[in-house]
Amino acid sequence: MQPKLIRELVALLGPKAVLSQPEDLMLYEYDGSVELGAPECIVLPSSTREVAEIARLARLYATPLVGRGAGTGLSGGAIARNGGIVIVFSRMNRILEIDGANQRAVVQPGVVNLDLSRAVEHLGLYFAPDPSSQKSCTIGGNVAENSGGPHTLAYGVTTNHVTGLELVLSDGEVVRIGGKTVETLGYDLDGLFVGSEGTLALVTEITVRLSRKPEAVKTLLAVYETLDDTTESVVDITVRAITPAACEMLDGFTLRAVEDFVHAGFPKDCAAVLLIEVEGLTEAVEAQAAEITEVCRLHHAREVRVARDDRERDLLWKGRKNAFGALGRLSPMYYVQDGVIPRTRLPETLRCITEVACKYDLQIGNIFHAGDGNLHPLILFDERDRAQFERVIAAGNEIMKHCIAVGGALTGEHGVGMEKNELMPLMFTPDDLALMQRVRAAFNPTGLLNPGKVLPLGKGCGEIRVLPPPASASTPA
Amino acid sequence: MSRPVQALLTRLEEIVGGARVLTDPEALATRQVDHLRPSAIIQPADAAQTAEVLRFAAGEKLALVPCGGGTKLGIGAPPERYDLALDLSRMNHVLAYDPRDLTLGVEPGMRIENLLRTLSEQKQFLPLAVPFSDRATIGGIVAANSSSPLRHSYGGVRDYCLGMEFVTGEGVISKGGGRVVKNVTGYDLHKLLIGSLGTLAVITRVNFRTFPLPPAQGTFVASFSDAEPAFSFCHAVGESVLAPQIIEVADPGTAHLLFSAETPARIEPQQWSVIITAAGQSSVVDRHARELGRMASAADAIELVPLTDKETSSILARIREFPRLILEAAPAAAIFRIGVLPTAMPFLLGQLSKLAAQNHLDLATLTRASGIVFAAFLPKEENTAPSADLAKAANEVFHACGKPEISASAMLEWCPAEVKRAVGNVWGPPRKDFALMQRVKNVFDPQNVLSPGRFAGGI
Ligand SMILES: Cc1cc2nc3c(=O)[nH]c(=O)nc-3n(C[C@H](O)[C@H](O)[C@H](O)COP(=O)(O)OP(=O)(O)OC[C@H]3O[C@@H](n4cnc5c(N)ncnc54)[C@H](O)[C@@H]3O)c2cc1C
Repeated sequence: MQPKLIRELVALLGPKAVLSQPEDLMLYEYDGSVELGAPECIVLPSSTREVAEIARLARLYATPLVGRGAGTGLSGGAIARNGGIVIVFSRMNRILEIDGANQRAVVQPGVVNLDLSRAVEHLGLYFAPDPSSQKSCTIGGNVAENSGGPHTLAYGVTTNHVTGLELVLSDGEVVRIGGKTVETLGYDLDGLFVGSEGTLALVTEITVRLSRKPEAVKTLLAVYETLDDTTESVVDITVRAITPAACEMLDGFTLRAVEDFVHAGFPKDCAAVLLIEVEGLTEAVEAQAAEITEVCRLHHAREVRVARDDRERDLLWKGRKNAFGALGRLSPMYYVQDGVIPRTRLPETLRCITEVACKYDLQIGNIFHAGDGNLHPLILFDERDRAQFERVIAAGNEIMKHCIAVGGALTGEHGVGMEKNELMPLMFTPDDLALMQRVRAAFNPTGLLNPGKVLPLGKGCGEIRVLPPPASASTPA
Repeated sequence: MSRPVQALLTRLEEIVGGARVLTDPEALATRQVDHLRPSAIIQPADAAQTAEVLRFAAGEKLALVPCGGGTKLGIGAPPERYDLALDLSRMNHVLAYDPRDLTLGVEPGMRIENLLRTLSEQKQFLPLAVPFSDRATIGGIVAANSSSPLRHSYGGVRDYCLGMEFVTGEGVISKGGGRVVKNVTGYDLHKLLIGSLGTLAVITRVNFRTFPLPPAQGTFVASFSDAEPAFSFCHAVGESVLAPQIIEVADPGTAHLLFSAETPARIEPQQWSVIITAAGQSSVVDRHARELGRMASAADAIELVPLTDKETSSILARIREFPRLILEAAPAAAIFRIGVLPTAMPFLLGQLSKLAAQNHLDLATLTRASGIVFAAFLPKEENTAPSADLAKAANEVFHACGKPEISASAMLEWCPAEVKRAVGNVWGPPRKDFALMQRVKNVFDPQNVLSPGRFAGGI
């Protein structure tokens, strides 16, 4: 990276907000995925204006610019694949407005997901998208990935809770799209930018919808002796059109790891459990819980337990939300997939995953959002074992192909990033991809914003078309 | 059309079949948009034919307006050019319905009424209680982002549409989203088509998630002497643990229309009415009945009347058909669709009523408590040349909506062609993000084949 660019960044942001020492840079080489990439400079802006100036400089110096929240992403989204500047939003972490009467909040992108829910708790409100990483991930990251979570089964993912954005475009222009109201004029630009993984614009402000906390919550734990009974229960709950707030599945292998780590009270001697939550009016909750219990029993659940109190409930959720970490203790690395299938295809899909694990001689834990068919097979491996890593990738691709073959999708919430971009042709035709490419070029014409993500790098896609800076780059109209 | 018309039509007939290119004046009249009539109506059978028609149109620089039931062709600015109507009514099949998975794939020409019937056989539905329900098609509903009172609990089309297949202005078949209920793979291009009024692409398939029909339903009407208490009541309901399916507020002008025919004599149409539907287990509906009664009296309601099933379906049908009721009563009416925050609603409605009075117009409003106001300005009977008054009022509405204390986003959704012309722009004053929309348009339809000029920002 040109020293002059670093000097300009320092002049703009101050020396404390620009990191370029190797030991600092190392911390930003990875995120929650198995990918790696070395940035050349880290910047920590504290305002939209600074972000806009950084974008202008990046363009002027034809340097890649990659946004980063907490770096918990699971598809390599925040990794500087082609080097360049990583722009970390942790200092832009203010909640700018809470409008309880209209159930809206306006936040900066670096606000941590759970912090927003905590800040509006006293109003009986919360921010519905609840990724398991919500204690650390940022709302900017959630917006970029269109993140989900256990409770998005009933309440929808991030895009369903965002009404407006402030964007910094790749040339440094600042634009607002959407607004606070449920409807604004024109094309649904929010719909396009949410989930665009930082490849179309940087997000500097987010207006979100807040949800009202339910009157009653019931958490059920259904324990099974076979995987098939567990998945058939999920199918039956779906078929009967019961929509719990959350319906998570943990297989026995995962449960044992979680139990040793968190002591959440999960049985260690079973094939799998369903962690199901129902919410709403007391009357609705009672009725739904009874129905779900009946379905689970019908499919031979050994036990259906209702959490007695908040403590027990919190413990079960703690177990769920720390499951990745628990499995992480069993092996040096893990690779989580995120495929989605039609929910009725769950039984055969889990059988397929078991077979794949066997075929490639790998350990795969399953802990996932069963209610909406969003799988998270978590493949354990040791990165020092190259041969094993190759088997991991092959196994992952095989599972992915199965998902697509049954009519599903590559990723339900973790995003494509640099991990699944080469798999995109499994789901999209060259024409589909070419259109997406043109949309990207319309907003990110130099390709400098988060290069190498989402779309396949393949031939002719014009992926890393880093153009020489236009003469007018530093003085946009 | 530039080339001799007959040569063009022959080519189009080769694509879709001779009987599928209509040119008789009566048929063309049904596809008129404002004052423009197409030279022909083309009825493709599938996405492949649609793509071929579009490639041909792009090559010949023809302008084309996609249409289904033809119920919403008047929405938007008058098209700059209009050569062909692309009539999708032949593409009216359910392509995939998996009731067990609660997902659906449907062609654009399918009428909502027929689709809802198919779904109800499986005790399912889509929350699209939209106007012109006997003729409106899925493609048109999605492209116009038609509003449903069920938005209150189910969100808008964008919240339950899973993906689409479509044909771009260059005649390329493409898609966005998927078929499963959760998916973040690639850019959500399909979302851009919702509300795009046929200016970006021709929708050839829409995938939805479906919903179970609730086992029980109950509808209640609370009447109030004024807007303030009516909205405080809505606010109180919103802050409670109750979760109604529908909350609509009708002003006296609208209440009149809603409650006229088979209406219970018990409801006074001179009042402000809040119509609330609760759905779910019968115990849930009962709970709503009890608590709504309590909240209504606390909010100084004149009364809270539970409706019978028959009254409920009549009133919900009228709410659904609001624009149609207005236009049938007053074909010269101008109806705004305004996105607004709940707290700004009473003030906005006050301003609207002032503007109506100043311009010698009657006002009828229907408000979705979640944030949309439909405001109909109706010329008084004695007014013989209402266009000028309507146009003046319209520009004042845009101005009022731009005030910081209201900050609403308004479009003039329904009005006669001469009012459109007099208003200048049914989309209101330009906004900065229109420039981004233009970039999207340039990607999807660089030759400007699709409904040129109909959209916001002159797109
Ligand atoms: C243990 C664990 C559990 C998880 N559970 C879930 C789950 O349940 N559901 C789920 O959906 N995800 C889950 N994730 C994935 C991850 O937490 C989410 O994707 C999260 O939204 C990422 O937020 P972040 O702040 O860490 O973003 P980062 O990882 O820093 O960045 C993610 C992407 O966002 C972009 N980005 C960040 N900020 C901006 C901005 N301001 N403007 C533009 N682009 C920006 C980055 O460039 C990158 O592409 C989990 C991850 C872990 C490690």
